[in-house]
Amino acid sequence: MKIKKQELIISIIIGIMFCVLTIIIFVQSKTISYTDINALENMQETELRKEITAIKTKYTEALEQLEETNAMIKEYEETINTDKEASVLLESELEKSRNILGKNTVQGEGIIVTLVDVEVGKYGKITANDLIELVNELRAAGAEAISINGNRIVNISYIVDLSETYIGVNGERIVSPYEVKAIGDITYLESGLSQKQYGYIDTKVNEGKDVTLEKSDNVVINAYSGTLSFKYAKEVE
Amino acid sequence: MIIIAIVIGCVLGALIGINMPIIPYTYSRYLAIAIVAALDSVFGAVSSNIKGNFDLKIFISGFFGNAILSITLTWLGIKLNVDIYLAAIVVFAGRMFTNFAIIRRYYLDKWMQRRRDKKNENEKKTMGKGRTSKV
Repeated sequence: MKIKKQELIISIIIGIMFCVLTIIIFVQSKTISYTDINALENMQETELRKEITAIKTKYTEALEQLEETNAMIKEYEETINTDKEASVLLESELEKSRNILGKNTVQGEGIIVTLVDVEVGKYGKITANDLIELVNELRAAGAEAISINGNRIVNISYIVDLSETYIGVNGERIVSPYEVKAIGDITYLESGLSQKQYGYIDTKVNEGKDVTLEKSDNVVINAYSGTLSFKYAKEVE
Repeated sequence: MIIIAIVIGCVLGALIGINMPIIPYTYSRYLAIAIVAALDSVFGAVSSNIKGNFDLKIFISGFFGNAILSITLTWLGIKLNVDIYLAAIVVFAGRMFTNFAIIRRYYLDKWMQRRRDKKNENEKKTMGKGRTSKV
């Protein structure tokens, strides 16, 4: 009886231990199988912690990068703005230059001088010199843009006699009537040309030539059609 | 009696274990080591029982003590970033094999003895060669 009681106690204890062991085994296997299904939970805490740290670091890095990029974008924008300003400035400068050079069609108040060959008499013919003189006079009176029969007078323009009938302007042959347009202060231009006795018009009319002056509030002068470029002349360094 | 207790314990444990909630995966490593340690204790108990020096106190203390020690070692290993739990597994598994070998030999010998006895009874002869060689 005593032995049996002891045996019973031992049996119970061993049974409890085996119970605990099987419980642990089942829980463990269950955990393993369960976590195998959910791959996300498969990671260990340390791994997850490491990952969190890595992600945090990455986040910080990304944030830094973002800030950097933003700063760069700002810089670029500023540069673009300044570039824009510069380009606008350059453009206006270019336009000015083009206007000065005669590459743009311009309009404004001015005068139109018409010179017509007079058939009678040898002296009634308009020569290149007449036109050159006229251009010179106009320039002296402050003309900003001049054209002869639609040919813009620019810095490289020339006016030469080609024959009895033709005058060459900018490589084009023109004939009478010669229409010289000039934009500038009307008063100066007019007074410059129509001085009594010694003025251009009087002088030419005295020579028997047909010269008329016309004032206009809106003179349109075409752009220079050729190219303005140097082939031989180079800038001195 | 003990066998019945073991079976009942196993069945009860299985039933409870199936209905137990799962533990976090982090702690499953500790549990696995504890299982190995406990199994080692069981094998040790069986082998010591065969040897005849089985002590319940030693068994119980070994069962829980080894489990706790191995868990502690695993924890320490994780803290130190050294896989100390491998050492525990090696020791426990090695001991399990040793104990299993002892159990195996004992029962094999017993079985062979029985067979021999039967033969002897049938032939009414005695085999003078003694025990068979160890496997």
